Amino acid sequence: MTGAINVILPFFTLFIGAFGIIVIGRLLKFDNRITAGLTATLLLVSLIQLIWIMGDSNIDILSFGAAGPGGVTFQPDVIGTFVSATILVIAILITIYSGGSISSEPTYLLYYPLILLSLSGLFGMFFTNDLFNLFLLSELSNLTASALIAFQSRAEGSVSAGYKYLIMSSLGTMIILLGVYFIYKGTGSTDLSVISTLVNNSTRIGAGCFLVGFSIKAGVVPLHTWVPDVYSNSPSAISGLLAGVISKSVLFIVSITCTKLGMESSELGLFLIAFGCLNMLLGSIKALTQKHIRRFLSYSSITHTGYLMFTLGIGHYYQLDSAFSTSIFLFVIAGIAKCLAFLTAGIYEHDRQVSEANDPGNPPKTVKYAPYLLSFALVGLAGIPPLAGFTGKWLVFSSAISTGDVISMIGLVIFLVSSVIGLGGYLPMIVRLFKERDQPDDTNQLITNSSLWMTIPVYMFCVLYIIVSFHPTPWLQIIIGIIK
Amino acid sequence: MDTHQILLSGITVFPIIGVIILLIWRNAAKKQAALIGIVSESIALVFTLMLLKPLNTGQAIQFSLPWIAEINISFSLELNWLAFVFLLTEILVTLAAMIYSLGEKTGEKSSNFYYALLLLFSLGMSGTTLSNDVFLFYVFWELMLLASVLLILIWGHGEERSQVSLKYFIITHIGSLIVLICLITLYVNLGTANISELILGASTLPPKTQSLLTIFFIIGFCVKMAIFPLHIWLPDAHTVAPMPVTIILAAAMLSMGTYGILRFPIALFSLEILEHFSIWMMIAGLVSEIYGALMSLAEKDIKRIIAYSSVSQMGYILFGLGSLTQQGMVGSIMHVVYHAIVKALLFMVVGIIIAATNERDIERLGGLGRKLPVTTVCVAIGVLGISGMPPLGIFNSEWMIFSGGFETSQPIILTILTLLGSIFTVIYALRFFGKIFLGKFTLHDGEVHQPKLLVYTTAAVTALLVIEGLLPSSLISWATEGLSAILVGGPL
Repeated sequence: MTGAINVILPFFTLFIGAFGIIVIGRLLKFDNRITAGLTATLLLVSLIQLIWIMGDSNIDILSFGAAGPGGVTFQPDVIGTFVSATILVIAILITIYSGGSISSEPTYLLYYPLILLSLSGLFGMFFTNDLFNLFLLSELSNLTASALIAFQSRAEGSVSAGYKYLIMSSLGTMIILLGVYFIYKGTGSTDLSVISTLVNNSTRIGAGCFLVGFSIKAGVVPLHTWVPDVYSNSPSAISGLLAGVISKSVLFIVSITCTKLGMESSELGLFLIAFGCLNMLLGSIKALTQKHIRRFLSYSSITHTGYLMFTLGIGHYYQLDSAFSTSIFLFVIAGIAKCLAFLTAGIYEHDRQVSEANDPGNPPKTVKYAPYLLSFALVGLAGIPPLAGFTGKWLVFSSAISTGDVISMIGLVIFLVSSVIGLGGYLPMIVRLFKERDQPDDTNQLITNSSLWMTIPVYMFCVLYIIVSFHPTPWLQIIIGIIK
Repeated sequence: MDTHQILLSGITVFPIIGVIILLIWRNAAKKQAALIGIVSESIALVFTLMLLKPLNTGQAIQFSLPWIAEINISFSLELNWLAFVFLLTEILVTLAAMIYSLGEKTGEKSSNFYYALLLLFSLGMSGTTLSNDVFLFYVFWELMLLASVLLILIWGHGEERSQVSLKYFIITHIGSLIVLICLITLYVNLGTANISELILGASTLPPKTQSLLTIFFIIGFCVKMAIFPLHIWLPDAHTVAPMPVTIILAAAMLSMGTYGILRFPIALFSLEILEHFSIWMMIAGLVSEIYGALMSLAEKDIKRIIAYSSVSQMGYILFGLGSLTQQGMVGSIMHVVYHAIVKALLFMVVGIIIAATNERDIERLGGLGRKLPVTTVCVAIGVLGISGMPPLGIFNSEWMIFSGGFETSQPIILTILTLLGSIFTVIYALRFFGKIFLGKFTLHDGEVHQPKLLVYTTAAVTALLVIEGLLPSSLISWATEGLSAILVGGPL
């Protein structure tokens, strides 16, 4: 083994921690909340380790085993580290929320390790410098995410959503494996630092396979078909995690990996711009007709993936630093707002103990502020000033306009159209949240109090979003620093 | 930070404090909520008036705090004469609407939210007027829209209020997005968000960019002004909105579009660029004037009659701006103020009629003159006012707009047609008065009850209309100063 051990610590904390929780939890008979607390602590430790890596001016590499398949090389880059740290902050709050939301599930001891394994797979994908490892870690992330989606197996649609995700993401992973094959055949190596010096047609085909494979995982149109079913049928915390950060972070992985594989920036940029526009349009149009809150949020998520792709695409196509920093800012703010929205929708569900309690006209009895919190998140996602969504929109427009090129202008027009269409979905949804019902609610339905474990993370997401909205300077400073 | 800067920031801070108090005081009765709203707005009014003296020394008052330093965005406010005229108008209109609200039923439920939203609506307009940063300008611009949409959505009349507010929101938001694109283009090309700096640097942009920005700015702001054919949101929004909100929408918010045209294309770009669009602005103004007046004539709903009258009056304003002459533009600025007072008055009268008779169909109304004597006097003055009869204010502003039209290099026929078109205004105004207040009393219920507070407020606004008409010199001077304040290096 050579290199600095600190590189691998965040990954190992989660990976080893997952098994540790299963063993210790079973031995000491932890209840749901203790397990949630312990998991949140492990995530916090991993976050501290990541911040340690970010603070280090040298980019360390850790390798063990032989180079190529069989060996392991970890080389975190600064964007991947920041994105991972953002995911961890959100995951900590999601885990605390789960301490309340899945309390009725008897198999809760498996839930938290699955979160840890899924995240470790994702971080591994960011940090690994080896394509075969990337494939394995992607499989780890897929399998655990599928299990998490189907976790509330008694709920209608849950298992089929898990299967759908498993099939689609496995298809994506198979295409990635095909890409690994092409690259290995063409270069004789799976080490990205070696491959980047031996770019040829095989690596280009391989990069194309990576692009398609990861597009499935990110929910890029037309490979998005799993998104609405999965986000509306999985546990709300998992929907928040997937829609808010995990699926979008894949775009950064694809961006970093394809660049290392020698894909032309203009080709990658054009792909991201074109398909980003498709995502924006399809997501906003389909969201218009949705009345089920989580399904609405799913389509809104497809739109936001489009915004992110468009901005990343501009960054690649025009080699524009401001577009890259905008894409990271969009990732952060959309992640917070989306999690706030999904978790609040989860409070609606939990309060009434039914999976179809997503009717926004049927507000929770025990959390009076839920409609306000949800509408706050929706206003943010719609990009209405002065919330951070608007700052994000401003930055996207600035990046696109500063290029002065026809491609980005066409994209910008589509962005505007999608933004207006999107408002046609957001506003009626907000109206429905406050619409008084003609008939009294069914009093036979069981009402369950949403505990502080659920409400505190929701309020914290809300506070976080307010801070980013009204004082975005420190966040922008960090992000611009990273890109520089 | 000196006293003037404290006062300037206070104009935006006190309404925010009012909003916070109202949001905390959830059980506030309507009178209590109104008191908070009126006091907050009155403080903003007092601060504005206190700044009159330093403004007289000839210097604009500025206040700036860094906000998002990474992208050169600051919380920057500036009060110049132009902003002063618009600011005073919108604060007075909001105050009148808040007092008027006390006399009618709107806002009896969730009073704290109602008055908080009225304050936010006003804050949106004040902020838009005072902003000296394009980012901040847009934030306040959208706040104005959002607050008004919520007011219509929650307190609007009828089942269709959701659809109407959605239509209003989407159409005006499209206009706002067009403005946003222009603002960001300026910001990206000139590297600053500060409006004063943009004014100094805008002439360095390529002429083609300046022309494109002018077109888009005018289109975007004309949506807010409800110029034909971009007016489609207005009749429904004005009809469905509760009366105090309609008053603010018609009397104050429409004028924000005028302010936008003055603050951006006219202040930023040279006469050579603007001249290409002069004739189109004048034609659009003329068409809007005649279309609005004809629609007012055709309507039976008394609220829609006055709503369409706004489309017509905004036409005059655009015509004056399009003339690109000092007379025409000063006339337009004055018309904004006079129109605000007349429109507030006429909508207040409509509110009294609806409250007294529960009827909105002009064909079913009649003979109210004897039943509502004070209101009849007020509406008579209002009708004369909107018809442009001397010595009431609109006569002065229309005189200047037409003078501007005759002075311009554009075909004189446009001004003649606009002048002739004003006959339609007289006709619809007289129809409104004659059908409702003259003739036989047509309603079956003998008694009509008019809430006293509504009448007092209406009478006060009528008095203001008369005073403004008789003593126009201050307004002329403010409007002229306002125009020269923004035209540093501009078209004239």
